[in-house]
Amino acid sequence: MRSPSVTSLPGDASVRRLAILTWVMIAVSLYLIFFHAREADPTMGGQLQRIFYFHVPSAWASYLAFGVVFLASIAFLRTGSRRWDLIAASSAEVGVVFCTLVLITGPIWAKPVWGTYWQWDARLTSSLIMWLTYVGYLLLRGLAEDGSRIARPAAVVGIVGFVNVPIVHFSVRWWRTLHPSGPTVADLENSSGLGSPELVAFFTALIGFTLLFALLLTLRVRLGNLADRVDRLELAR
Amino acid sequence: MSEVGWLFVAFAAVWLGLGAYLLSLSTRQRRLEQRLRELEKNE
Repeated sequence: MRSPSVTSLPGDASVRRLAILTWVMIAVSLYLIFFHAREADPTMGGQLQRIFYFHVPSAWASYLAFGVVFLASIAFLRTGSRRWDLIAASSAEVGVVFCTLVLITGPIWAKPVWGTYWQWDARLTSSLIMWLTYVGYLLLRGLAEDGSRIARPAAVVGIVGFVNVPIVHFSVRWWRTLHPSGPTVADLENSSGLGSPELVAFFTALIGFTLLFALLLTLRVRLGNLADRVDRLELAR
Repeated sequence: MSEVGWLFVAFAAVWLGLGAYLLSLSTRQRRLEQRLRELEKNE
């Protein structure tokens, strides 16, 4: 029998419920993306436009993750609590995963539509800088032998690095870019060029990826707590 | 490559990427649980 002190982490049942909800939502969104949303006009990429339904939610999840890094870093500098430091580090890791997916799916979509995988335009370049910033943040944390000593400089990077997130988001409106500017909230249907079935598929995918972010963050924080327990026991020997 | 081919590549990249990350979390957790069991046994 496994030791309960190891396997019974606090909130096990809630995590299981969150995982079930997440995978149900993802499954529903996949059905809607492939069987409910209509094929886009050939000028928009035809079947290829369906990449949009996981490219944009991945970008949203990365913004959310880096927003959590920003807020948790401020909370850590104010309180010095390890809990906030762990949330910031975990969220940065999950954010890098989602941002990597954006940087992979974007060029795959761009190649047949633009004729090239990459353009050094404002949206693509600022997204790459955002990814490099948080990869640097994780490397900074990973290189330190004593995690507690690097926590404060890492929090400063987590706060300063967030400055780039609104730049990435608004780059398509501030500068002329190849990347589509996306819809405005005030006139979603006309500005997005999407009909009701497509908007339903998109928002379901958006909720699914938001839940997936929450699930991955929860799992990563629990992993960090487990690592802290191991460190404490090793130090006490 | 056809439109559907590109779509498949992007779709596979997303789910393989997320799957790889979940696998890495699970591997790290198993390793830590094993280490924790060893430490608690020696206490």
